[in-house]
Parts: sequence; C-alpha cells; structure tokens
Amino acid sequence: MQLTPDDIIVFTLAGWKVNATIVNTWIVMALLVGISMLITRNLRPDVPPNRWRTALEVIVKLIQSQIEEVTRNSARHVMYFAGTLFLFIALSNLMLVVPGFSPPTSSLSTTAALALSVLVAVPVFGIASGGVGHYLKTFIEPSVIMLPFNIIGEFSRGISLAIRLYGNVMSGAVIAAILLTVAPFFFPVVMDMLGLLTGMIQAYIFAILATVYISSATAEPDHPALKKEDKS
Amino acid sequence: MSIDWITVIAQIANFLVLVWLLKRFLYRPILNGIDAREAEIKRRMAEAGEAEKKAQAAEAEFRQQQKQLFSDQDAVVKEALRESEVQRDSLLAEARTKLEREQQDWHKHLERERQKFTAQLQRAGEETLLELTRKALRDLADESLEEAIVRHVSARLRPIVGELSEAAGDSKEAVATTRDTLPEAAQALLLADVQSLLPGIDLRFESDSQQAPGLILRVGGAQIAWTVDSYTEEFDALLNERMAAGASGRIQPTGT
Repeated sequence: MQLTPDDIIVFTLAGWKVNATIVNTWIVMALLVGISMLITRNLRPDVPPNRWRTALEVIVKLIQSQIEEVTRNSARHVMYFAGTLFLFIALSNLMLVVPGFSPPTSSLSTTAALALSVLVAVPVFGIASGGVGHYLKTFIEPSVIMLPFNIIGEFSRGISLAIRLYGNVMSGAVIAAILLTVAPFFFPVVMDMLGLLTGMIQAYIFAILATVYISSATAEPDHPALKKEDKS
Repeated sequence: MSIDWITVIAQIANFLVLVWLLKRFLYRPILNGIDAREAEIKRRMAEAGEAEKKAQAAEAEFRQQQKQLFSDQDAVVKEALRESEVQRDSLLAEARTKLEREQQDWHKHLERERQKFTAQLQRAGEETLLELTRKALRDLADESLEEAIVRHVSARLRPIVGELSEAAGDSKEAVATTRDTLPEAAQALLLADVQSLLPGIDLRFESDSQQAPGLILRVGGAQIAWTVDSYTEEFDALLNERMAAGASGRIQPTGT
C-alpha cells in the first residue's frame, strides 16, 4: 500500500525521477490556470459577465473578503499567496474523488513545501511591510525572554501546518483505501464524501492560518485591529 | 512517511509558479474587471444621477412655467375679451356709420327721384291743363286760349295804364313774352289793345321756351302777366300732398 505518491515514479527526466506528486501537481496547476485563462480571456467592463465569470468572481471575492476580515486591509499580494494556497489545496482535495488520482496534498513533501512557503512568506511579507527591524523586533515582544519561544513558535507553526494538512488528506485517502477492502461499495463513497468535506475545510484552515500568520507579521504594533484582537 | 526534499523543492517551485500564473490569469483580470465594472457602474450611476437632477430641474421649470401660464391665463383671457369688445364696438360703429351714410344716400336718391318725378308730373299736368283749357274754350266759347289770355291781360292792363306809363318812363317799347309764338290773331289783338291804351309804345313779341305757358307784358320796369303758374301751384300742392301720403294712399280732401 502506497501511503504517499512520492513513491510513484511516473517518468525520469534527465536523471530526475518525476514522481506522481509533481505530475499531479502539474495537473492541478494546469486545471486552475487553464480554467482561469479560459474564463478571463475576454474581459470587458461594458459587457455583462457570463455565468462562468460570475462564478469565478464569486470565488475570488469570497477569498478577498475572508482575507480582508483577517487582515483588516485589502492587500492584494496576501490574497495572491493565500488564495493560491486555498485554490490549490481545495482542488487537490476535490480531485480525491477522481479514480486513480492521488492528491498532491496527500504527500508530506507537498504539505511541507506549502508549510515552508508559508514559513518563508511570513518574514518576507513582514519585512516588506515594516522593514527588517520591525520584523525582528516582533521576536522580542513582549520581552526579550520570549525570544526563544517566539523562534520555536515560528517554526512550529510551519510544522503544524504541514502535518495537519498532510494528516487530514492522507488519512482520508488511507481510510478510504482500507474500507475499500472491507466494504468495497458503500463505505468508500461515504468516506470520499467526508474526504471532500474535510479537504475543503483543510484548505480553508490552511489558507486562513497562513493569512493570520502573515497579517500578524505585517500588522503594526499599535494597529487598532491588532489591539482589538489582542484584547479578545 | 518520509519527506522527499527534492520533491519539496519542486513543489515550492511549482507553488510559486502557480502563484504567479494565477496572479497573471485569475486574480488580476478578475479584480481589475470587477474594479472596472464598479467604476463603470459608478460612472453610469453618476450620469444617471446627473440626468435625474437635470430631469428634476426640467420638471421643476416646466411646473413653474405651467403655474405661470395658469396664472397668466385669466389676464390673457381678459385682455382678449377687452380687445374683442373694442374691436366689436369699432366694427359696429363703422357699420353703423356706413349704414347711415347709405341711408342718407338712399334718401337723397329717393328725394331726387321724387323731385324728378314731381317735375315731370308737373310739366305733364301743366300741359294737360293747358290743352284741356284750350279745348274747353274752343268747344264752349269758340275762342282760342291765346286770345283769351290776351284779353285777360288787356283787361288787367286797363286799370293800371297810368302806373304803366310812369313805369315806362322814356322807354317806348313793350315786350310780350310767351313760351310759344302767339298766333297772328292774338298778336294783332294784343297789339291793338296796347296801342289804344299806351299810345306811342311799340310792342315787340318774343318767345321763351323756359317760360311757363301764358303771357308776360313788360313795359319799362313794370310788367303784367298771366301764366299757368298760379294754377299749377295748387296742382303741385295737391301732388305733394299725395306724394307725402305715400303708400297709405289716403288723400286729404282739399277745401276747393
């Protein structure tokens, strides 16, 4: 039984073994980009949007509103990052129902890569927002004693993100595979449906947590929104 | 469960590429499209608001003009009525003047016709009277009218011979004027009477078509006449009386 698609080598390119995780990632990427290109190829402000464009606008505006609720501003670069996280994870998890398709998110390498991306994105966005000094200062807040704990917390956030996503997606696939051997007709369907639900929830949680981390790094100390969050 | 770090690096790269691709083909077009559409909607709303303001202003102006028109309507109607009354009075006065003038012209015309008719009737009456008198004299007295007139004038001449002689003064001629030339016998009769009454006075006979039938004898500044005028005056009075009676046809009886 394969627990991760990393072990499935699809083809070898110049000595580099291209596994199913990467290939399936490309498929998901191709789907996302292809659909986006197809819908947004002829956008004109004076033409009423069709149903596909409307659906896409609803999704994008939903992502934007969720991010704005967390960050209290409409920084587009955060949306590009967190929105892509959500769409990639969500579509990957939805493709769990495709027979023979192993979601890239069921690979710990993928979730680790996404977690590392968040781990790197947080200081990058923080430094881009307030400068290096302001970002480093957050590690000694509220006092210098908290420096090691803040550093540990920074790394543990990435690790927890990666493990949470991997565990949920992979566990769903594993449970479905096990139940398939026990009751091949009923339980896998129920589990797959449950997997779709948990996959969407995981995508939402991952993206929201990434947004929260980034917003906490980019928010100014005396920001009213941040103070309000601290009080709550 | 293990992490393939090469796959991790590849997935990070894949993810970054996906971020860029979705930013290029999804977020930016969609968000820019939404912003453009919002701007378009905002512009159209602004235009609609502007158009609504203009429409409201136009409506207010229209209502103001309508109100003004309603308020001016009474004054306009009164003015029109006054002007029409003035014009009506003017036309009536003009028509009345014209009618009066036409009536006056008609009355003048009628008067002229009446006078013309009366004159013709008078002449016809005179002629008739003269002819009837001449015929009556011839039938009853076997005498001509001219001779009777001459005898009448001679009879009237006799009592005033003295006065005539004084009136004649140095004049040695008497003139007998008639409308038609007197017959030879009448001339001889008158000549004989004048020579016997007024010796030394020559008598000359003249005829005047404008004169009334009769005889006028002028001696110096005096004259003796007998014409039918005195008779026809009564005839004219009778005619005028009947003409004045008009259509009633009533004829007032005369005293004679």
